[in-house]
Amino acid sequence: MADVNIAKAPANDAVLPFYATGALAFLALCVLLLVSPQSLQTHFFNPHLLSIVHTAALGWGTMVIFGAAHQLLPVICEQDLYSERMASFCWYTLTTGIALFVFSFWDMRTGWLMITGGALVVLSVLLFVINVLLTSRICTRYSVQKMLIVSSSLWLLFTVVVGLLLAVNLAFPFFTRSHLDILKLHAHAGIAGWFLQLITGVSAKLVPMFLLGKAGEEKWLKYACLFQNAGLLLFLADGYLNGVGDRSLLYGALILAGVLCWMRYLWTAYKSRLRKKVDVMMKHTAFSFCCLLIAFALLPWVLYAQGSRWAMLYGSFIFLGWITGIILGKSFKTLPFIVWNGHYKHLSGKVKVPLPKHLYNERMVEWQLPAFVVALFSLALALILDNLLLIRLSLVSWLIVALLYNINVFKTLLHKTKTLE
Amino acid sequence: MNIDLTHTHVNEVMQAQNALYNVIDPELFVNVVDLGLIYHIEFPPDDHIRVTMTLSTPHCPMGEAITTGVKNALEASFPGKVIDIQLTFDPPWSFERLTAEGRQQLGVK
Repeated sequence: MADVNIAKAPANDAVLPFYATGALAFLALCVLLLVSPQSLQTHFFNPHLLSIVHTAALGWGTMVIFGAAHQLLPVICEQDLYSERMASFCWYTLTTGIALFVFSFWDMRTGWLMITGGALVVLSVLLFVINVLLTSRICTRYSVQKMLIVSSSLWLLFTVVVGLLLAVNLAFPFFTRSHLDILKLHAHAGIAGWFLQLITGVSAKLVPMFLLGKAGEEKWLKYACLFQNAGLLLFLADGYLNGVGDRSLLYGALILAGVLCWMRYLWTAYKSRLRKKVDVMMKHTAFSFCCLLIAFALLPWVLYAQGSRWAMLYGSFIFLGWITGIILGKSFKTLPFIVWNGHYKHLSGKVKVPLPKHLYNERMVEWQLPAFVVALFSLALALILDNLLLIRLSLVSWLIVALLYNINVFKTLLHKTKTLE
Repeated sequence: MNIDLTHTHVNEVMQAQNALYNVIDPELFVNVVDLGLIYHIEFPPDDHIRVTMTLSTPHCPMGEAITTGVKNALEASFPGKVIDIQLTFDPPWSFERLTAEGRQQLGVK
């Protein structure tokens, strides 16, 4: 066939188990929140909330992103994935590690169980980083997208290693700095290093592709990469040496500048899009970006206001607004195509086959967006009012969102091959 | 793709084009002909059919499905022929390659 290499999609077992587990983790996250809504009204360092946050960050966000990254790395790097076996194997270590970690946090069982969970997560991330580095090493050309994916994976490694050290410190204290200060640095390395840079890099490739728009000027993406990394590095260095204080706002502003440059890059794709009608999945993405900006706007309150509610609100907009929003939308831009490829790639052109959009319930994705918006803003209101009953009610709507998402994800995953004639 | 009506194999090229109308880009829901992905279809003297085509994005995740679809459709329409697909990004695909029908199907004004 062709003398041009078209990167082959990796085998489904390097991708689909991550989507399935991520969807179940999202459901588990909503159930845990419903079981312990009062944990949203106390200081963020409480066992149930630590368990919930790690379910969100690792079980939900990182799990789905690993699956998507294994699929998309060949697209971004224009090469086959370095090792499918390594990609498949890290599902076992990541899932076991997260389960042990979340279980240990729930009742704060510090010790070897928690440390083993953390070590398994570190091992999984190490495998992921090796795959990213070796896949991108064989890239034929430099791109900022590739650089962002590499930097995000290195930030993830940094985050989980610090996380493991925090878990060790709980059982065998050895830190000379405040545990809570290191916890804040750990959390923000994950948010601004791993999630932000990964999403920036991947969206820079995918959004123009999905909108059929022109990619923006690369300088904006370079600035995005520079500001996001500079802001985070300064925050971590200053936070470690002097504690997290007033200057955090300055570093937050630098990271925000990086976010705005990234959005400027995407704006070109949106303005020049060929498809004028923006589908519901892209609306999820647009809404998720608004949540990220709201989280930035909340930073002064997180730093200076009394009580924990603003920190809770900030965390909710990050994990439940931004990261969840982007995954809820992008799942149905990627998963049906991956599953379709497995069922129909070899039948295409021979017989009439369903299209990827027929593998899931489109109507349900349309319901998912308003349900998600209502769930998020009702939770935000409940947190601001500090009202347990309202928090419980909003968490019921989160459970509905998780059920809608799970039903659709498993409908796609369990699809059976069929022809239309 | 323009078809030269004075070409020796004009009938075969038209038959091939008709077969390729059944190959749909799974992401865009438009067939590969109206998308403008097919650059040339040639019938050399041997038992081969040579298709020069592109993809809407280099390393498109659905690239393998699309090229397999083209191969399958031509094999069904021309039993016994060997299908050679030459994938090229020179020139790269652009919106201008869409046919009027393709534009309509994509909702492009």
